[in-house]
Amino acid sequence: MSDGMNRRKFLRVLGASGGGAVALSGCSTDSVEKLIPYLVPNEDQIPGIATYYASTCRDCPAGCGVHVRVREGRAVKVEGNPDHPINRGKLCARAQASLQGTYNPDRITGPMARNAAGELEPITWDEAIARVAERLGAADGSKVWFITGNEGGSFDQLVNEWLRALGSSGRMVFEPFGYEAVRYANRQVFGVDAIPAYQFADAEYILSFGADFLETWVSPVEYARGFSAAHGYRDGAMGRYVHIEPRMSMTAMSADEWIAPAPRSEGLIALAMAQVILSEGLGRPPRDAGRLRGVLDDYAPEDVAVRADVSAEIIRRLAGEFAARPSIALPGGMGTQHTDAHGTAAAVNILNYVAGNVGRTIVFGADVQAGGRSSYASIEAFVTAAAAGDVEVLFVHGANPAFATPSAGGRFGAAQQSAGFNVSFARFEDETTAAADLVLPDHDPYEQWNDYEPRAGIHSLVQPVMQPVFDTRQTGDVLIEVARRVGGRMVQGFVPARNDGTYKDYLQERWRELQRERRDRRPFDTFWREALQRGGIWSEAPRSTVRLAPSASEITPPAAGAAPEGQFTLIAYPSLALYDGRAANRPWLQELPDPVTKMTWGTWLEIHPDTAERLGLAEGDLVEITTGDGASLTVPAYLYPGLRHDVVAMPLGQGHTRYGRYATDRGVNAYGLLNQDPTAFGGVSHYQTVTLRPTGDHEYLAKTEGKRRQLGRGIAQAVTLAAMQQGEGHPFHIQHAAAVPEREERVLDDVAEAQKEATRYGPYAYDETKWGMAIDLSKCTGCSACVAACSAENNVPFVGEDQVRRGREMHWIRIERYFEGGQDGEPLETRFVPMLCQQCGNAPCEPVCPVFAAYRTPDGLNAQVYNRCVGTRYCSNNCPYKVRYFNWYDMSTPNDPDTFAWPEPMHWLLNPDVTVRSRGVMEKCTFCVQRIRGAQHEARLSGVPLADGDVVVACQQTCPADAIVFGNLNDPTSRVARTAADARGYHVLGGLNTKPSVTYLMKVRNVEEA
Amino acid sequence: MATAISPESASLQDTQPTYSEITRDIAATLGSPSRGYYVLLGLVLTVLAAGVIALLYQVRWGIGVAGYTPPVMWGVYITTFVFWVGIAHCGTLISAILYLFRSAWRTAVYRTAEAMTVFAVMTAGLFPLIHLGRIWYAYWLFPYPNQRQLWVNFKSPLVWDVFAVSTYFVVSTLFLIVGLIPDIAAVRDKVTGWRKKLYTITSLGWRGSDQQWRHYSRAYLYLAALATPLVLSVHSVVSWDFAMSIVPGWHATIFAPYFVAGAIYSGVAMVITLMVPLRKVFRMERYITVWHFENLAKLLLLTGMIVGYAYVVEFFIAWYSGNPFERASFWNRAFGDYWWATWTMLICNGFMPLLLWFPKIRRSIPALFVMSLFVNLGMWFERFVIIVVSLSYEYEPYAMGHYTPSWVEWSILAGSFAWFFMWFLLFAKNFPTVSITEVKEIIPMPRRRAHP
Repeated sequence: MSDGMNRRKFLRVLGASGGGAVALSGCSTDSVEKLIPYLVPNEDQIPGIATYYASTCRDCPAGCGVHVRVREGRAVKVEGNPDHPINRGKLCARAQASLQGTYNPDRITGPMARNAAGELEPITWDEAIARVAERLGAADGSKVWFITGNEGGSFDQLVNEWLRALGSSGRMVFEPFGYEAVRYANRQVFGVDAIPAYQFADAEYILSFGADFLETWVSPVEYARGFSAAHGYRDGAMGRYVHIEPRMSMTAMSADEWIAPAPRSEGLIALAMAQVILSEGLGRPPRDAGRLRGVLDDYAPEDVAVRADVSAEIIRRLAGEFAARPSIALPGGMGTQHTDAHGTAAAVNILNYVAGNVGRTIVFGADVQAGGRSSYASIEAFVTAAAAGDVEVLFVHGANPAFATPSAGGRFGAAQQSAGFNVSFARFEDETTAAADLVLPDHDPYEQWNDYEPRAGIHSLVQPVMQPVFDTRQTGDVLIEVARRVGGRMVQGFVPARNDGTYKDYLQERWRELQRERRDRRPFDTFWREALQRGGIWSEAPRSTVRLAPSASEITPPAAGAAPEGQFTLIAYPSLALYDGRAANRPWLQELPDPVTKMTWGTWLEIHPDTAERLGLAEGDLVEITTGDGASLTVPAYLYPGLRHDVVAMPLGQGHTRYGRYATDRGVNAYGLLNQDPTAFGGVSHYQTVTLRPTGDHEYLAKTEGKRRQLGRGIAQAVTLAAMQQGEGHPFHIQHAAAVPEREERVLDDVAEAQKEATRYGPYAYDETKWGMAIDLSKCTGCSACVAACSAENNVPFVGEDQVRRGREMHWIRIERYFEGGQDGEPLETRFVPMLCQQCGNAPCEPVCPVFAAYRTPDGLNAQVYNRCVGTRYCSNNCPYKVRYFNWYDMSTPNDPDTFAWPEPMHWLLNPDVTVRSRGVMEKCTFCVQRIRGAQHEARLSGVPLADGDVVVACQQTCPADAIVFGNLNDPTSRVARTAADARGYHVLGGLNTKPSVTYLMKVRNVEEA
Repeated sequence: MATAISPESASLQDTQPTYSEITRDIAATLGSPSRGYYVLLGLVLTVLAAGVIALLYQVRWGIGVAGYTPPVMWGVYITTFVFWVGIAHCGTLISAILYLFRSAWRTAVYRTAEAMTVFAVMTAGLFPLIHLGRIWYAYWLFPYPNQRQLWVNFKSPLVWDVFAVSTYFVVSTLFLIVGLIPDIAAVRDKVTGWRKKLYTITSLGWRGSDQQWRHYSRAYLYLAALATPLVLSVHSVVSWDFAMSIVPGWHATIFAPYFVAGAIYSGVAMVITLMVPLRKVFRMERYITVWHFENLAKLLLLTGMIVGYAYVVEFFIAWYSGNPFERASFWNRAFGDYWWATWTMLICNGFMPLLLWFPKIRRSIPALFVMSLFVNLGMWFERFVIIVVSLSYEYEPYAMGHYTPSWVEWSILAGSFAWFFMWFLLFAKNFPTVSITEVKEIIPMPRRRAHP
């Protein structure tokens, strides 16, 4: 990036997005191809006013709709598209940080070819395309292989057509989290090769057999919304959620009950429950369910109790609860994808079927893309073909199998070497690119035209929101161009090459078809523009009714069981922040504390404290993990009570050997321990039997948690549903010494009164507005999307691993995770509290600042004047909530390259409305004051007063569970005022008389005991 | 002037020096320095240089090079600030309060104590600057007229601190300079060369006339009266830096008297630490006798008992208040991660001074010297415990943390001692460290005739 951003480039980029049509009210549809000079400005392009473009997030297969906020030609923030049926305006942490992919300083800046010295060197696009065409012209079409990621749309079809023209059938889809087991089980039990739509909102009882549906499972944002609707407490009612998995995942932390069965035995429990439901005639099973009776008879609760390590009474109770209400049972995610995962999934299918859930809460027809046609077995097929010398040319697009396959991609890497010619379309130099002879970098999703079908009936558009940052080219265009160069059959057999169009034309052609299918007779341009504005087109896919397939009764008994004595079952689970590792080059996500362990920037081994004690391990002690095959990795131990004693767990996603400055050589790659052989269902087993050996070394963990327990301080309060229903659910308050004396209250009231008096001289004392927030802990799932959203909105820098070790992370909002119980046979309970500045009405931070850098605004914000701060840090000492963050180093300028958080072109994503704080000043949450002032200015200009809901703060905007409400507390009709008045409402450390503006609503637990 | 001769001054009478001997002996301390002096000065300057380099490094890269670990936002720097402010208290106590109380034994030690005061304030005053995130804007802490119409927040104890410390610095410096005038004049008459010129100017034309003596003694008395309340106020204000906050372990009404007693305690210890080698090197045994040390030891015992009492009260009130946060904070002090710091403090400051009940120990100079070192250590740890340990265990359990200082902080701490000793060494060779005038005043009258 030597040339950087100069005036010319700036103007070019600025002009390029000048086609923005509608700001705020809708989304822009014009292409970014026009260049408009600033001297004669486009009337839509107003400096200082943001333009929003609708697009689709492609960072995981869920396919959430986004609105990209573009300011002066640069994308600066990604937010959910409120119209999009998948996510309804909400996003996860990965999507919030997706612009760090677009502006990643380690992106490949242009086409490159390997030279004689074996190093990649830049070439021109012309030359690059010529080289591919030359190779293809000479190659045997059947020996051309093409690996893509999960592409559900036009590009998918383009690749297929392109390969067909070439005479190749070597198309593979590789999505590391491919849900092969679920699809296998659906084939087996229902005869359908699909992942159905899971309709959480319609269920009152949720039973997850290891599905981390709030983290990575299939479509987490969509499910978080559904879960919140089903399980959030409202007016004395809420659903119940039970999670069955040997490890308590973040998702399980939201459960009312967590059951840790023996590894690989979830399926047994599901079958036993089904057996109980059928044999005791609970619920109303479909008529043909009786066919299963014979099979299920082998799985009476008493028969499986010992193998599953779960008592028969619990299984019977679960069965009764499950059948009594509209329920949903979910098959396992990657954290329980063991060798019998297809058995679990089949058992769950049967359970759902006998409980009558199929067609009710589980709907086929609206099939989910998720893993697409991906299969790890196909990678293995490629490896075999390569060994046989059947691979002449290999194309890889949007996948990194040299990292995300067992043996840490070693076997794939070797196969890749034996291919004659390797072409990569990667955006980043990753492990798979390492072997490429030619790199033809694709546009970032926010720079390209594309579409994606996350679920049948939902066609989501991807449109460029700005000029490409680098000299990259859309792969679709490259393929078409290559076909033209090859000529002959490639032009004859490949329509786009014949038509003299671009990939965008191809895409539009497909959308013309869609329009015809929908019997829409308007001009295509109108249809297209409307689709672009909305972010796509969607309709209800027709439901298909499924019945038990004949093979349903052929389910194999799961081979449950713990690891042999002295060994442990290792679970390699997907990382919430890094997914399969593709997000590891985004520093915001590296620094996003893992919701379960609060670890950042590395890999760790979760181990139960009792087990650790037995092995003589303390937190941070390094452990060598060795598999039966002799593969071994060394990681620090993290003592986690949410695990069975015979199980250890570690996250996937780290350990890149090549993935840019933020990911390379960080942590270890858990794929390195997994078994290379595909499972019966064609996937990767994420379970492995291992031995542990303490190495005697120690590492100080880069985690953000202090104490794990609340010390009885009532930070995260919870109540049982029964107590709420009986009107006994009251929050408790620790008083700081005695209650605040009455005369002191009177003094405070007098002061407030005097301030009101002073309003005659100016707008003081909350005369108009007092901004406040309410956070419902019964909805918060700990997913940390708010943390990433806050960073993106407020230019919060990442500080790096070493600084996190010193507790210097800067997240203005953090998710505190506290454990309750878990000792002396009590069940372990986890509570999350999003902690941000409480904007105290009687703020301890303000009076101690010697220079008035901390002060109170008339509308109730604790503002911080960054330019005035001299850095005494007294405000932070005096803040009981510890929500003020100090700039220990210079993270805002390149003067300090070690700590600079915005290396070019990362600084393009900085929000121009928010100051980038310099070294030596304190910073903090101010309820997104820039959004408040922006909305107020707009209200003033338009003459329409602000209405409730006009100001949406970043954390609230993205919260998938809709746990955060923001607004004017002085308006008794506002949503926030009504929510804050809830009986469950309490102020954290309210006894300190800080008078916080943030009200927390107690978590409600749907449990039996009081 | 104070001419009351206490019966205890008998010890001085045993070997009663003449006036000329006094002038000669004390002026002799200003003679040409030995090699040892230069070696010591060189050592001090080297350590100071290390501290300065560490500070420059910190200014260049950011305060992050110090070991701060949120929530511990104040660490070694503020600890050391309070430590040096505390040291600074003894000087004024001895020179002003004991002067007003006409205590004769102060005469031999007050000059050292006063010099120590000024240098300690000079050292202490650096630390609030060193600990700032943006040291280059430190002047914003002063209320000065500016076109931006920005003002300081007079509600903030930190602003009070700025005034308290700067006032104290001005008054104690004045007090030292005024007290020095007759002595400088005496030395002026003895020396030659550049120093003669220096003393001619700094003695402000002192001739020793009756009128000058009258003005001098009035001025000294008024300054003493002015300085006396400062002894109590400065450290009270410093204590309010903490007591005005809501941090458990800080927010306590006992803080002002507790800090003042602690300050005097540490100051007396530092006087002993300085006097013992000084007396040896400058051969002042005739003027600074065991009697003086015993009196210092009694002061140490008194203030040590007060400090010990304050510790007991703090722990008791933490329990008695029933406030769970206070209780947890004090439990953490005694048995948490920093137990070693707390027990160092309790043993050095709470238990060790009890040994001073034994006259034998009070009169043993080596014992007192060793004890004074431990008291210095203990008092540094007292501030460390109050500041760091309280901050590490506040309200929000998730945000509790553990702080370990970095090499930068240790270097600057060492540098602060070097800075202090540099001034002291320069002072000791250029100005009389024992008051010529006042020692003469307590010599019994008849011997005055022996003056040439």
